[in-house]
Amino acid sequence: MKKKKELKISRRTVMKGALAAGAMMSAGSIPSKLFAGEFNIPDPLKPLPTTGGNMRWIDSGDMKGVFWKKLFPEYAASRGITIEYDGLPWKEINKIVPIAIRNGTVHDVFQLPLGMDPGVAVSEGWVQPWDDYIENLDEWLANFPAGVYLPGVNQFNGKTYGLCLTANKRTGTCLLYSEKYMSEAGYDPQAGRMTYSEIRDAAKKITKRGNGQYYGWIIGGNQVNRWEDVVHTFGQVAGAHGGRGGFTNRHINFQNGKFQIASDQYMEAVELLLQLKSDGSAFPGVMSMNAPQARALMPQGAAGMIFQGPWCIGVWGRDAPEWKYGIASEPVPDGKKAQPLYIAEGGSNTLWLSANSTMGPFAGDLIRFMGTEQGQIYWAQTVGAADPAVNPEAVAKAGLTGPSAQALAMFAENLLVGPNPIVRNKDVGVVAAKSRVPDPSLALVIQGLYTGQLKGVEAQLKDCNQRYEDALDQAVEEARADGANVTRDDWVFPNWDINSNYGASKYSEL
Amino acid sequence: MNKKSLSKQIYDARWCYVFVLPCLILTGMFVIYPIGMSWYFSLLDWSGFTKEAKFIGLQNYYEAVNDEFFWDAFIRSFIFMFGTVPVKIVLGFIIAVFLNNQVLKLAPFFRTVIFMPVVTAIAIIGIVMTFVFSPFNGPANKFLMSTNLTSAPIDFLGNPDTVLPTVMGVYVWKWLGITMMYWLAALQTVPQDVYDAAKIDGAEGYRLWIHIILPIVLPFAIVIILVEAVGALNVFPLIETMTAGGPFFSSEVMEIYIFRTAFVTDSGTMPRLGYACAAGVFWGVAVLFITVLQGLWMRRTRRI
Repeated sequence: MKKKKELKISRRTVMKGALAAGAMMSAGSIPSKLFAGEFNIPDPLKPLPTTGGNMRWIDSGDMKGVFWKKLFPEYAASRGITIEYDGLPWKEINKIVPIAIRNGTVHDVFQLPLGMDPGVAVSEGWVQPWDDYIENLDEWLANFPAGVYLPGVNQFNGKTYGLCLTANKRTGTCLLYSEKYMSEAGYDPQAGRMTYSEIRDAAKKITKRGNGQYYGWIIGGNQVNRWEDVVHTFGQVAGAHGGRGGFTNRHINFQNGKFQIASDQYMEAVELLLQLKSDGSAFPGVMSMNAPQARALMPQGAAGMIFQGPWCIGVWGRDAPEWKYGIASEPVPDGKKAQPLYIAEGGSNTLWLSANSTMGPFAGDLIRFMGTEQGQIYWAQTVGAADPAVNPEAVAKAGLTGPSAQALAMFAENLLVGPNPIVRNKDVGVVAAKSRVPDPSLALVIQGLYTGQLKGVEAQLKDCNQRYEDALDQAVEEARADGANVTRDDWVFPNWDINSNYGASKYSEL
Repeated sequence: MNKKSLSKQIYDARWCYVFVLPCLILTGMFVIYPIGMSWYFSLLDWSGFTKEAKFIGLQNYYEAVNDEFFWDAFIRSFIFMFGTVPVKIVLGFIIAVFLNNQVLKLAPFFRTVIFMPVVTAIAIIGIVMTFVFSPFNGPANKFLMSTNLTSAPIDFLGNPDTVLPTVMGVYVWKWLGITMMYWLAALQTVPQDVYDAAKIDGAEGYRLWIHIILPIVLPFAIVIILVEAVGALNVFPLIETMTAGGPFFSSEVMEIYIFRTAFVTDSGTMPRLGYACAAGVFWGVAVLFITVLQGLWMRRTRRI
């Protein structure tokens, strides 16, 4: 009788397989080796140390991580160093970076936690200026659009501490939708900005067609900032003109310097979210998923619409290249015309050099290259609209097509530079450092309204608005007690024309 | 009798002290020092990583006891404890009684199965459970729907009414194995001749357990309850990975509250390590108080 062949798997074989799988997972879905030789990295402008070393770099990942994982191996090989990269969600950066700063183990190059005042980082001595590490710094900075490098934002005491390779000209709440579901519902968001009623109707129709298999709309509801982002941006589109960014900018109407959380525009935006829920159009389980989980369900056909940022484009392009989706501007309340959205001056994803770092020459050399037109083109070609390159000419030359190009065009049309109190008065940074978002924050209030734990949109938003007013008053008071020359009037910009960029000339008029 | 001086006694026992020294140093570094520093930090208005730290006395404590979210989290922690410990104790005991029966051939298998979640990383369990309880294609909802127990999926972790019981259920499942092991260890201290004598006297079934075995293992029960109660007040990793305290604070227990105030929030403001330490110290004292009460109860039970 023929003996049946046994399948023998040794422990060693299993371990090998597990190690290989682990290595593949840790390397991400794009093996960096595939891209070897892709970049034309110029020689350094001045000789770099020959001692080598390991450079540690941390940022908020996403498409930036995809780019760095392509570039870093090649750059490291060309300079005889190694680079350790950590691309982490903001939630993790907010935890890790402060602890690492406290322990003296922060990465060589890092991003500051959200909302942290850069002035504090400089005055505390956590960071060192880039001036010594970037050859011909002034000439290099001149390549960037006006308003990217500003005293009090990324320059302090005449030195440049923060470097920006990306623009902040984007929104995080675009309408991203399944082309198939939306067209079956009889809507084409490309034909024009959708209204709140149309969003509701489309969501209802998609849900009805889905018959329990898919739903009209999805959101990563346990990531509380998503609620605030949607209401904030929708409110601005509806005409609640105000700032973006941290606590001392966000939700403030710079025409009168007051928070506008209780404005009609914000209330309408909250009502839209509640209506999507009461219509039964919301994906079941939105409260138990975060934004990346919600985003990942879209190509799986779980929902027709999501309000998220252009970073989805790269992720979907990589993970679900066959899936057809569209990107469009945020919706507008019925019968209203969309208003501009405002961004603060400066770039985004600012990179800081640790005060303890000895890798400054390499970090400076790398960032200098990335700030050149060629470096910016490389960036734009990989990262696209997710984190747009700061140099618009390079973006134009990058030859972007499809949703990335569409998103960038949309942002160019919808976004203006608004006033920024910290540019006007650097002591606003002291207020930022003293600020505490009241509990519960707007994000949590909206979440509470959505779950039904809080009742009455108007009353809750009014309460919340008052808490924010009180918190800012208290922070201003504490800053003044510490010697800062600041008042609430620093948040009032009477010469702000809501239909044009607010630039240096406007500040000088004040 | 010639009594030795203290220094002589210490000198004679010098090797004992030498061997105890590493433990003392480590305890000092990782237990005493952090506790002492958290008491000190709790008196400061300090973000935790700036140079500026202002001494504000008991102001952080005053603020904490006047914060409704602090008390909500405080009470929720005890709800969690009272909701899980009795279930674990009773279930663990019943399972241990069955598995302690040497006639049961598959006892080692069941012991392993029940103990397996204990050795699985808690963060992994937390993440996997978010998928298990997902209202969209989650196995829990699929089962409920397929058996017609519900007509629509339940958002176990997204509904404020179901989130805490769900997390409590996962916690009981995760740690039931260790409770069972405690009980098994306790039951194995009961001498075989006690069983034999009880049987000769006609005590069988529940009478054997209620009147003979339970009084013998009762002192163990007090220890088990103490360990379980303190364990149920330390559930940070499970809740952080499953719900992060949400939705809208529905599952925010004290540890999550402390964590939220100690680090930069999603809202993007400076953390408040001083305040978080005050909340932590307050919480630590509360837990210590309960532990002392249980210790006294244990001592009294032993006397009985």
